[in-house]
Amino acid sequence: MTDTQTNLQKEDLVITRILDAPIEMVWKAWTDPKQVIRWWGPKYYISPTCEIDLREGGKFIFCMRAPKDQGGQDSYTAGIYEKIVPMERLEFTQSLSDKDGKKIDPAGAGMPPDFPKEMRMVIGFKAKGTMTELTITVYGFVAGQMYLYALAGWQQSIDKLAESLAKA
Amino acid sequence: MNTAFMTALAEPNRMRIVELLRDGPCPVGEIAVKLRIRQPQASKHLRVLNDAGLVVVHPVAQQRIYQLQPKAFEELDNWVETFRRIWQTRLDNLDEYFQELKEEQKRDNK
Repeated sequence: MTDTQTNLQKEDLVITRILDAPIEMVWKAWTDPKQVIRWWGPKYYISPTCEIDLREGGKFIFCMRAPKDQGGQDSYTAGIYEKIVPMERLEFTQSLSDKDGKKIDPAGAGMPPDFPKEMRMVIGFKAKGTMTELTITVYGFVAGQMYLYALAGWQQSIDKLAESLAKA
Repeated sequence: MNTAFMTALAEPNRMRIVELLRDGPCPVGEIAVKLRIRQPQASKHLRVLNDAGLVVVHPVAQQRIYQLQPKAFEELDNWVETFRRIWQTRLDNLDEYFQELKEEQKRDNK
């Protein structure tokens, strides 16, 4: 397809960071549930539970508890691992969910109507001596879905999606 | 971010028009030529972009000159920025976590 590249392309966000830790340590931090809870959530939030079924097609579910002065409620994120290449690549989907890991409508959880219903993450790991270069690519929270529909010429799907967004 | 904005940009020709206009204002005839579509089609797309607040038109002599409205794109950039900030914070947390881990290891090795 000879479509021009725009800022609104399918990959919506790419972030790279060099972490001062060896690659095995970084990989473990992303895949061991006891470690994930120590850094994933925002400051002052705690993560009472985290379950990870680390295999392609396996699920994860992650609980975050807001601090008392922000209401103290629990919220859940869940998703599925799509690709796992140890020390190299981790791909997974992610959505807001209920405590059983079932996807929920973010609008129902008090999010604004254009909050993405599902995002896809691709995490790349590259050893740089005793440090690790981490690349995070996030898909799906801008016009991602609609861009894909447009490319496939699915005008009807676009209209339906626009309609459902207007209702949300 | 409104849905008119997203719908407007979800069509490949309209995306190409936006790309074109990033280089500067352009009359509708030229847009049609550059996109290799007929002028009525170009006008139709430009009307959708105009209604969504993405472009504005200035009649100059006999021509209709279209121009991007940066404000709409600023909103989009802000939206992207929100997510970027979430990830930067998360990675800061990850950095701090590794510092803690290393200190724990040092203490355990004593």
